[in-house]
Amino acid sequence: MRPYQTATAVIFVLIAAVAMFDSRAGALPDPTGLVPGGLRAGWFPFWAATIVALAGLVATVRALTTAQPAEGAFTDRRQIVDLAKFVVPMALVGWLMSPGLLGFYIASGLYLGYYAGVVARYRWYYALASGIVIPVLIYLSFELAFSALLPKSFLYPTLPF
Amino acid sequence: MDAFGSLLGGFGTALQPTNLVFLLAGVLLGLIIGVLPGLGGTSGVAILLPISVFIARDNSATTAIIFLAGIYWGALFGGVITSILFNIPGEPWAVALLFDGYPLARRRGKPGVALASSFVASWVGAFFATILLTFLAKTIADIALQFGPADLFAIFVLSFATLIGLGAESPIKAVMMVAFGLLLAAVGFDRITGEPRLTFGQVELLNGIGFVPVTIGLFGIGEVIAANEEAAIGAAGAIAAKVGLKDLLETLAALKQRFLLVAANGIIGFFFGSLPGHGATAGSFLGYGLARQWSKNKEEFGKGEISGIMAPQAAADASAVGAMVPLLSLGVPGSPTGAVLMAGLFIWGLVPGPLLFIQHPEFVWGFIASIYVGHFLTFLITLTAVPLLALIMRVPHGVLTPLIIIISVIGSYTLNNSMLDVAITIVAGVVGYWLRKMKYPLAPLVVAVVLGNATEVELRRALIGSSGQWTVFFTSPASAVFLAIAALLLAWPFIGKALQVRRVSAAPPAAAK
Repeated sequence: MRPYQTATAVIFVLIAAVAMFDSRAGALPDPTGLVPGGLRAGWFPFWAATIVALAGLVATVRALTTAQPAEGAFTDRRQIVDLAKFVVPMALVGWLMSPGLLGFYIASGLYLGYYAGVVARYRWYYALASGIVIPVLIYLSFELAFSALLPKSFLYPTLPF
Repeated sequence: MDAFGSLLGGFGTALQPTNLVFLLAGVLLGLIIGVLPGLGGTSGVAILLPISVFIARDNSATTAIIFLAGIYWGALFGGVITSILFNIPGEPWAVALLFDGYPLARRRGKPGVALASSFVASWVGAFFATILLTFLAKTIADIALQFGPADLFAIFVLSFATLIGLGAESPIKAVMMVAFGLLLAAVGFDRITGEPRLTFGQVELLNGIGFVPVTIGLFGIGEVIAANEEAAIGAAGAIAAKVGLKDLLETLAALKQRFLLVAANGIIGFFFGSLPGHGATAGSFLGYGLARQWSKNKEEFGKGEISGIMAPQAAADASAVGAMVPLLSLGVPGSPTGAVLMAGLFIWGLVPGPLLFIQHPEFVWGFIASIYVGHFLTFLITLTAVPLLALIMRVPHGVLTPLIIIISVIGSYTLNNSMLDVAITIVAGVVGYWLRKMKYPLAPLVVAVVLGNATEVELRRALIGSSGQWTVFFTSPASAVFLAIAALLLAWPFIGKALQVRRVSAAPPAAAK
């Protein structure tokens, strides 16, 4: 667990450092008395980031010096592969559903089918059914009942989705 | 009896057919979500938050909150079913019920009694807590109306301090999460001067990082990814059960002997829950500990003692109700679920805080009345529908998992029709999964993201009012007291540790073991 805990804490420190750099102009209270209340826009983010950085440094030192469970964040390689099988398509769908690309309905149908067929290893007709029935139900409830418009594909308006 | 009259009016609102229908829908959804492993009440409320926007648009904000809170009440009851019948906690707060619930169901062969005990206790605990809420929330709100910006800032600091000082996880990590949440909230236009901050030239970020996509990601998607990893959920030790009339009578007899314990746990759970950051989970462990402490036959615990079911369940449900106190009267979320409900209030165009009682009394009292009705409804449904609810465990995860993700994505998109929000949700989901794994507490993060803007605005308002004099935080008595308590809470983990070290080193080696 040690490398994972250390890396997580260090990443927070780095993010905080960037935020501190970006808002450094407002770090100190305004001495001229021209700014109402004396705090500029950068003050709050600068000090929030400073706290993240300091606490992150303590967490880094803790991760390096205290006893940590011997096992890593993942039990074996398969767990990482399983995670990737889950997360990568999810991120891909998030991008593909943009208006003008595949749109929400086609992208989510593909995702549902992929998950049922490839990850959960259902028979192909179950996977197909999941990928078609659920998007249709979502279309009926959101597009028609709630009149909430979801992103349409490049085929729109030839096709209704 | 000012509160009593307002409450009656609230019942008038809560019992309107539309509100009843949405309450019922919420409770049923909550029960289902509670039974499903890997999907908690907080995630359920977060995922369905955007749907509440349509409910608020077509009906009213009152209907929307009744619906959303109904999910929470349902999940409180639903989570215990899997704990008792499958030995799998459907919810984090149902973990305490594994200790005695499953043994009573399995070894003693009384699943009906085990279930009925938890339902009855849930309802009784929540009932006492709701009475306290009815009479306390308005009183606290009246006091809070006198507060100036400095006092409000101090209250926010105090709630962050409770999250850090009383949290279960490492206080350093909790500090990091609070500060990181405040940092995320600061992205975008500065609310006072209008300058862009931390946007790195990205126009899309000028409006800031919304707390709704962040919350849906952290709780909805993050929890699903984590659950997917622990996928080995089997219904191997499952017990078929329903709650019969005989079980109910036996439970009521048991309740009669333990009424003081259950009532006391309800009241303690309520006050515990009204501290920011402590939802039902901490409450249920507290309740279990108390029941054991007070019991005459401690050795029965862990073998199916009814007190070990009733006490944690009463405390859990009561602390969930208690979490509504700071939300309604101060505008401070008392739990992660409270944070999501508060996000809802913002979206429906309401400002959480003491003014709610004056500007939107029908909303507040309708909501409070719906807590009574909601718990009673849930109680009735659970008594009759256990076999049906247990069936939900069999919904194929190959359909359910991607469906939850897709609903989360719909939720984050429809709020602003923004693809950026979708991206934020997905990133927050992965981050939430990882932070869970690394044992970073998520509650402080979510509460800080939701409260971040208000915290900064009140701080700067206070300083503008005092022409930049920081003494304003100590010259106002309320603010000085809150900040002093906050400092004490922040120091607490370190004081506690120092005391522990002294005790261990002072004790003889044999006793230390």
